[in-house]
Amino acid sequence: MATETGTKFQAVSRLRGTVFEYVSLGASVFGIVLLAALLVYVSIDAFDLANASPQWLLTYFLTLVVPLIGFCLYSADDRQITRRTGLAVGGGLVVSALVFTGVEALVGPIDRLSWPLVYLFVFVVPTTGYTIFAANQETVGGVGFGLLGRLLGGTALGLAVGVLFLVFDPQLWMLAYTFGLLPAALAVGYGQWRPDSGMSSKALPIGIVGLVVAVGLRQVVPMYPTDFIIYIWSVSMPIAAGGAALVAGQRGRTAALSVGLVPLAVAVAGGFAAAGFGLPSKTVLLVLVTAGVPVAVFISRTLTDGEGTIGLVLPILLAAGVLVGALIVDFAGFPAPDPWLDPSYVTSSPSRTPVDAGLYPAIVGSVIIIALVAVLSFVLGVGTAVFLEEYTAGSGWMGALTRLIQVNIANLAAVPSVVYGLLGLGLFANFLGFGFGTAVTAAFTLSLLILPITIISAQEAIRAVPDSLRQGSYGMGATRWQTTKNVVLPEALPGIFTGTILALGRAIGETAPLIMIGAATTVFSAPDSIWSKLSAMPMQIYAWANFPQAEFRYGVVAAGVMTLLIVLLGMNATAIILRNKSEGV
Amino acid sequence: MATQQSDSLITTEVSSSQTGRSAAPDETVISSTDLDVFYDADKALDDVSIEIPEHKVTAIIGPSGCGKSTFLRCINRMNDQIPACEVDGELHFHGTNVYDPQVDPVALRRKIGMVFQKPNPFPKSIYENVAYGLRVQGKEVTDELVEDALRNAALWDEVKDQLDESGLDLSGGQQQRLCIARAIAPDPEVVLMDEPTSALDPVAASKIEDLIDELVEEYTVIIVTHNMQQAARISDKTAVFLTGGKLVEFDDTQTVFENPAHDRVEDYITGKFG
Repeated sequence: MATETGTKFQAVSRLRGTVFEYVSLGASVFGIVLLAALLVYVSIDAFDLANASPQWLLTYFLTLVVPLIGFCLYSADDRQITRRTGLAVGGGLVVSALVFTGVEALVGPIDRLSWPLVYLFVFVVPTTGYTIFAANQETVGGVGFGLLGRLLGGTALGLAVGVLFLVFDPQLWMLAYTFGLLPAALAVGYGQWRPDSGMSSKALPIGIVGLVVAVGLRQVVPMYPTDFIIYIWSVSMPIAAGGAALVAGQRGRTAALSVGLVPLAVAVAGGFAAAGFGLPSKTVLLVLVTAGVPVAVFISRTLTDGEGTIGLVLPILLAAGVLVGALIVDFAGFPAPDPWLDPSYVTSSPSRTPVDAGLYPAIVGSVIIIALVAVLSFVLGVGTAVFLEEYTAGSGWMGALTRLIQVNIANLAAVPSVVYGLLGLGLFANFLGFGFGTAVTAAFTLSLLILPITIISAQEAIRAVPDSLRQGSYGMGATRWQTTKNVVLPEALPGIFTGTILALGRAIGETAPLIMIGAATTVFSAPDSIWSKLSAMPMQIYAWANFPQAEFRYGVVAAGVMTLLIVLLGMNATAIILRNKSEGV
Repeated sequence: MATQQSDSLITTEVSSSQTGRSAAPDETVISSTDLDVFYDADKALDDVSIEIPEHKVTAIIGPSGCGKSTFLRCINRMNDQIPACEVDGELHFHGTNVYDPQVDPVALRRKIGMVFQKPNPFPKSIYENVAYGLRVQGKEVTDELVEDALRNAALWDEVKDQLDESGLDLSGGQQQRLCIARAIAPDPEVVLMDEPTSALDPVAASKIEDLIDELVEEYTVIIVTHNMQQAARISDKTAVFLTGGKLVEFDDTQTVFENPAHDRVEDYITGKFG
């Protein structure tokens, strides 16, 4: 009897489940591996790694990658991670050399790939990513990468602000800041200092009046200070003051003053000095402020907390690695690659000769389009979603109308982008007279294109807010608007951001609608207003791909794709940071 | 035999919980006459007429689906949120029919606070949760008002050092007391409670019961409960709804539990059905 039960216990087959599990795994890995292989080739082309000598690779491996991994392992402080990393880095070297040589001997030579590159992409990059991830969980690594992230993010932000000021009028901004935002901010500050003065509630009217005054004065005021002074007064000083205010609450006046004033002084000095070196002084000023203030705040916090301060050396470690590597390569005369994606590529105009070709006007065009699209689609998308979810009745003619809108929005998400291009051409470019291929036309067209995705994802996010919260709010005697503003939207915001990120990612890569509205494939100077004709990165890349010279296809295009991806990643990172901030209480 | 046992159990409960509140003549605060409620074709309340006294705890009991929550939600017009819900008849709050077209349900809810079955604090700080009602009602938010509300909800000592932390970090019982603090902060006249302890453990539930006993000094409390012992312990008046949305009996709690006028009520409170 007992034996019988025993045999019965072993009779359950898990074959189908196991097969399903591995087929699913294969399906999910398939796409990722193909995309990774493409990206590897693109980056090899963009950075001309095929021409990098093994000595060059080895030098930077030793000066840059090894210290970075070392820092991560020190921070992670975990024997198992160290052992795994050592195994991957050491064993990978042998494996990739053997396998690659074997494949080349049996199958034939592989174009533009060598075993050090295979080793780099298959073993070193993933291992480094893994150790960075592991280190980031611990204090030291968190401090190090937090600082590095603020440096890079601040720099990117400064560049983006600089690009936006190419198009948006800095003088108008100065007036708006001086008469609208600054008084409003002062009112809020005074209101918090003296709550019984009731100044906080007056901030909004003060700001609106100020903005109206600013717009009116723009045409009246004949003389303006130089842009450099405008940037110091109306961009750098508020950022520095914001940084100081962040620190002042917890760490006292001295720390706050140094956090605000030191980066400001450095930035102004850097701006003046940059002019002497032939660098654009305004951009240098902006970058030094947007990177400097967050870095100063972060360092001040870390020093007061006193935990993981050693992590602050990470940027210095990496900078030293690059410097030492460059010295060694220069001194020993190792053949170095000549990357297509270099500073001159992102700062110069397109050209018929591959070496001179640059992406600058297209980058500016894309950034401006995306900035406009982000604002337009967020406002329209969230507005529509709130209306559909919170305000419409379920029955009556309004209910029927709502259902009709719902169905149509779902269908609109599937309409091909060329059709939206046609709409943009007819409606915005022709009928409303926004002009062919201008930033405004492009932004409106792309906003319409992604609007259904934005609306649907925002609706999902709003629907996911528990009804009990709404009930709670209504039960307190809140109106529908108060409930939406105070309870529903804050809770739905992370989800709305996620949807908008995805939609913006689609917008930045669109080409077809831009062709339809008459955007130029190539423009030679950056747009200087939202009404000027512009190109966008995907358009320019597409144009280059048809050029006859092979260097365009195997270098310039690859560099363009890398730039597009980097801008996209930067954008997504910003949105994710915003989302995570809005998730916190 | 079994019936008798549970009978006597409840009797002792009642006698041991003499609330000792004044027997002064009761001022009616909420009264309904022939109140019918339909969800589409289903009748949820059938001809309910009741007079609820001020500064007393009124318990509403009855089996599932008998319309007790529906009645509670009629009082502050939370049923307006349900499109299919239709109300017929009159319900007076201080003599005003709340279903009069002139009455703004939002203004009504500012006089009648509500606590729900599941604790539903907002994902904001404890301070902001309590201040929420004051803010949306356009009243001034002061630290004293927030502190008073938390003290009245018997939560102040537990949370006074963590007012900036999220209300969601509290335990279930604390969350429910936070919801009570939130409801009483804007100083309503009536507090409606829809099975406020059914999602809580017995210790947390008894804290809420003690709290209700104190709240009734300042507010009129109407509580829907599934728990008959709870109704017997904390209420002055008890309304018994039975299936079909009929108000079968409404009287002093002691009378209802010791000497009910209807056999079906007796069957229900002695546990023969429900």
